[in-house]
Amino acid sequence: MKSTKKNKGYYLISVIMLISSVIMLIPLIMAFFTSLKPLSEIQTNATTILPKEWMWSNYAEAMKEGNWLRYMYNTAFVTTITVVVSLVINSMAGYALARIPFKGREILFFTALLGMMIPPQVTMIPTFLMLKRMPLVGGNDIFGMGGSGLMNTYMGLILPYIAGSFGVFLCRQFYINFPDSLDDAAKIDGCSRIRAYFQIYIPLSKPVLATLAVIKASGTWSEYLWPLVITNKDYMKTVQIALPAFKQETGTIWNLLMAATIVTCLPLLILFIFAQKYFIEGIVTTGIKG
Amino acid sequence: MLRSINLSEDTKPKLKVKVKCNRQRTEKVGYLLLLPFYSFYFLFILLPVTAVLFFSFTNYDFYKTMNWVGLKNYANLFQDDIFAKSVWNTLRYGMMTVVPQMIFGLAVAIALNGNIAFKKFCRSAFYTPYIFSMVAVSMIWMWMYDPSYGFINSFLSAIGIAPKQWLFDARYAMNAITVMSVWKVIGYNMVIYLSGLQSIPSYLYEAAVVDGANSWQRFTKITLPMLAPTTFFLFVTAVINTFKVFDAVNVMTNGGPMDSTTTMVHQIYNKAFMEFKMGYSCSMAVVMLIIISAITLANMKYGNQGNDLDIG
Repeated sequence: MKSTKKNKGYYLISVIMLISSVIMLIPLIMAFFTSLKPLSEIQTNATTILPKEWMWSNYAEAMKEGNWLRYMYNTAFVTTITVVVSLVINSMAGYALARIPFKGREILFFTALLGMMIPPQVTMIPTFLMLKRMPLVGGNDIFGMGGSGLMNTYMGLILPYIAGSFGVFLCRQFYINFPDSLDDAAKIDGCSRIRAYFQIYIPLSKPVLATLAVIKASGTWSEYLWPLVITNKDYMKTVQIALPAFKQETGTIWNLLMAATIVTCLPLLILFIFAQKYFIEGIVTTGIKG
Repeated sequence: MLRSINLSEDTKPKLKVKVKCNRQRTEKVGYLLLLPFYSFYFLFILLPVTAVLFFSFTNYDFYKTMNWVGLKNYANLFQDDIFAKSVWNTLRYGMMTVVPQMIFGLAVAIALNGNIAFKKFCRSAFYTPYIFSMVAVSMIWMWMYDPSYGFINSFLSAIGIAPKQWLFDARYAMNAITVMSVWKVIGYNMVIYLSGLQSIPSYLYEAAVVDGANSWQRFTKITLPMLAPTTFFLFVTAVINTFKVFDAVNVMTNGGPMDSTTTMVHQIYNKAFMEFKMGYSCSMAVVMLIIISAITLANMKYGNQGNDLDIG
């Protein structure tokens, strides 16, 4: 590793790592090729890797089984709203906790930190009950009985997602590194805190907001447990719920199943390709800061 | 300690106030900016976590019944064979994933930190499985594990090994899920280890070379100790994630066959939303919360020690 000279070790490690990488990719490659095979080709001999006949129509056919456009729209809508609202309220809170002096700031920050160790799997039962029994919504009476409350609504899907405190922590750590002179200068110029937030801090926060957006977007798109709890109608399914349901309905029509799986993966793949820097950044910052 | 001095209104300085805080004062706009976040945080985290404690002492069944039953739910937990099994399965999952994923992650990171061909391609290849959702990855591996046409059995029969009913056999189902999980998170461990490796100053290695240390000694005496905080962090995160395992289990096996893959969250979900034993399920959630909080607090207490490792 010290010498840049290409010795025997260089070729050996390169070859080993290249082979390992290909082995890592086998499941993904197999899924892709399977999605293009006709069913007969899968059920005779699975040992062929490449499809003999490239059936791009499998994708169209898979999307016709079930309301996939609707599922994609649901997931995209929930993800977008979650990301936008989280960015706004988390950066506001992070800015307040980092830059503005007020009584009880430390204890409020510590309480928010505590929230990071409460897993959503623990709070999901009361959260579900609260949303289902929300008074005067979704057919409920004033005592929250009789209807379905916020079940099967976008509101019910989104609300718990934006409560997480990780983003506040991330933004606070980002804003706390700004020099004090920035605030002083703003104050001398007669700039209020709110205006300073919008005109000074927000324009400088592109890296942290992009990182947070990528983390939130991929997390929300991939969420499985909460949509499983809060939705039971077909028209409110997210893609992560629709995939296993598709498997249960169609059995082992693997080519269509793999086509649907790949379609649900595409947005994440595109996000990763175009925001790779922030993806890795997010992982490493989450990694180091915990 | 956190007492603040309100200079704007209180012009007459009080002597008993500590003057060590130089410019602390209260600007109310701070509360205003914090309010939206805290409203959500209170409603969807603080309130539910209190409620889950409360429900765990009741026999709430989602419809009418809700009586205070004291510690009965917790007493029942100890006699619940399926819950015991789910705890055991969760631990088994942890034992089979946590250390392997870290070892693979470290090995790959070290190999890809050096100067090799196709470095970028290799890093992406190892990382790609991590970006997809657990559900999508589970679907892909269900196809891999398919007993009649799946890739793994085809491959095994090609080299003369009898095909197995991977996900339908209680002996293999959990192992099959853990293999997939390790495959998915190697890339994550690799990225964290890579950033750890890159923060090790190169003069340490240069000095070691001057002192005649061989590459194994450089690895055990420099790389591993310098990576201790990273390793500790990855270990804690992986253990916490172990207790949250649900997606793969619910999608691939639904806890079966014969409860051989049911995990704690899977039991919480089933008891609450399939059998509607809300109170009982909440007591399981409380047990999970206690375990995860204990790990997190231990991490806060001991986790930072590695960061003091300063050789500057």
